Amino acid sequence: MDFTLGIDVGSSWIKLALVEYGNDSNIKDIIVERIRKRNPTQVIEKAVDHLLNKHGLSYDDLIYVASTGEGELVRHKRGHFYSMTTHARGAYYHHPEVRTVVDLGALFCRVTTLEKGARVRSYAMTGQCASGSGQFLENITRYLGVTIDEVGPLSLQSTNPARTSGICAVLAETDVINMVSQGIPTPDIIKGIHISIAGRILKLLNKLKVESPIALTGGMAQDIGLLAALKEQLEEKNMELEVFTARDCMAAGALGAALWGGFRHYKLLKVKQ
Amino acid sequence: MDYPAFKQFDYSQSIAFARGLVDDLNFSYVSRWKKANPSARVIGFLPIYIPREIIHAAGMLPVGLFGAGDRIPVVRGDAFFQSYICHLPRTVVELLLNGNLDEFDGFIFPSICDVIRNMSGIFMLQSKNRYIRYLDFPQNFDEQIGGVFYRSELERLMEDLQKLNNSGIDTQRLNISIDLYNKNRKLLKHLQDFRAAHPHKMSAVDYYLIRRAGNIMSVEDFNDLLESLLESVKNVEADEEDKIRVVVTGSFCEQPPLGLIKTIENAGCYIVDDDFQLGLGWMKKDTPSDTSDPVNALVQAYLQDSIRSSAVYDSENEKGDQLAEKVKHLNADGVIFCAPSFCDPALLDRPHLERAMDRHHIRHFSFQYHENLGQFHVIKEQAGTFADMIKLWE
Repeated sequence: MDFTLGIDVGSSWIKLALVEYGNDSNIKDIIVERIRKRNPTQVIEKAVDHLLNKHGLSYDDLIYVASTGEGELVRHKRGHFYSMTTHARGAYYHHPEVRTVVDLGALFCRVTTLEKGARVRSYAMTGQCASGSGQFLENITRYLGVTIDEVGPLSLQSTNPARTSGICAVLAETDVINMVSQGIPTPDIIKGIHISIAGRILKLLNKLKVESPIALTGGMAQDIGLLAALKEQLEEKNMELEVFTARDCMAAGALGAALWGGFRHYKLLKVKQ
Repeated sequence: MDYPAFKQFDYSQSIAFARGLVDDLNFSYVSRWKKANPSARVIGFLPIYIPREIIHAAGMLPVGLFGAGDRIPVVRGDAFFQSYICHLPRTVVELLLNGNLDEFDGFIFPSICDVIRNMSGIFMLQSKNRYIRYLDFPQNFDEQIGGVFYRSELERLMEDLQKLNNSGIDTQRLNISIDLYNKNRKLLKHLQDFRAAHPHKMSAVDYYLIRRAGNIMSVEDFNDLLESLLESVKNVEADEEDKIRVVVTGSFCEQPPLGLIKTIENAGCYIVDDDFQLGLGWMKKDTPSDTSDPVNALVQAYLQDSIRSSAVYDSENEKGDQLAEKVKHLNADGVIFCAPSFCDPALLDRPHLERAMDRHHIRHFSFQYHENLGQFHVIKEQAGTFADMIKLWE
């Protein structure tokens, strides 16, 4: 049996996917671990040890260990794949019909269009400003005194969404502080933020002239409020695009890395022959 | 010179020493060298190439000036250059005006582009009591035209240096110097070959630091350092990763920040060859060191054995084929064109080189940088995508 391991190192979370690689690859396990204030390299090594022990495996049993994201923090790896490539592959694994993948990570939002076989056709991503990112949303939850899990359901309760800056995270955070002091209800503030983030995603989708269906990956893809806001905006703009949250969305990068790792392993073997 | 025992350095000591030299904008190595050689002079030179053998034979220390990266704020340096001029001259002028180059007795500005040529004028105005020389190189490689011209340039340089140092450059001394630089190029070639075969054992940043330090140190010290490094690097334990092999070209003058070099490697590319310190390997062959006319040997070496860089006019357009040949020889997967913003020689050459790569079916991509660049995200995206494309779909 051929096993591959994908390790996606984000700014807040480490994601691991252990895959039994073959013509019909199977996911053996997925681990998602928050870094908190720990040394990321140690968190990775501990998580890998735990995963391998759990399945009675060692590094020697893995035909390919692939990193993605901040891969330089992974000590024992064979190769690295870029996030857009791995998220595309991860989403494609569960949803082979998908034509566009939107990775909603902690620091960036990235749109990738796919060809058959999860090959990347084009991509676009947000710039340096963090206002379309998960980290920004997490900061906002601190001002509002809610947990990240409450964000989605609260957003759906909004009746009169507030308007926030869609360009700058600093301005948007200032907006939120002002709104709190003005007594604007929390659901309306959150919905306003979701609309702002959805607006940024929409700009990227327009830029690439994407095709449907669109799968959302990354941590923010779990946010049902953001998904709803995005669907509403697509409808408002008469853009007939189907959008949904990918299965294993949070670990899509790790899953894609593991799958590409297996593919690469056999490609190298073929080249050697 | 009484310096650390380079021959006993292990790998990490060699790299740490080189990093110390590269980071040191006060050129304390130069100060120590002058203390050890009180009557000798130090000559700074700008990229890319100068015949260091002549300076060495005059009993002087040639020191490469490759800018200051992001380590100094440019305050006065900006006043001398328009906004469409590259960054390196700004930090070099800033170093001069800040007194970082006070230990230098002279400066040579090779003909590479208009900016470097004009810098010789700025230095003349700002540094009046020191030797300033614009050294022209022939663009005509005919012995009777370019050869005669280049010989006259070198003879004038030798005359100047002899006056500056109050000592002659005789045939024997020049031959000894030529021999030392031949040895230096050989050692560098061994290191380059080792790295091309085992890029995982020596990172591109470490390799860069060693070569850059070599443009600051005396050739004797550098040779000692290289000899010990060639031994110690074999013992480096590092796992080889599945990365593509790339040749980086276009960065021969203004140097890329270390972060940029690291970014390219972290994005999945082993840099198996680059032109960051191009002048160190300007000659493809040894220059004869046993002739009765060593100046002629240097002239002939320049005409016949020098590499074709972007600073050389090339009517036969052989640079593209030269690059393609290098890619094939190194078994590289592609080329990264990495040139400083506003670098006329590199950017004017780029379309020709890109066309040559297309002709040879070699993958490539390009970007621009400046020496004080601090954000590498876009470059990481490009290099990462490039690596994935080759690894998965080529």
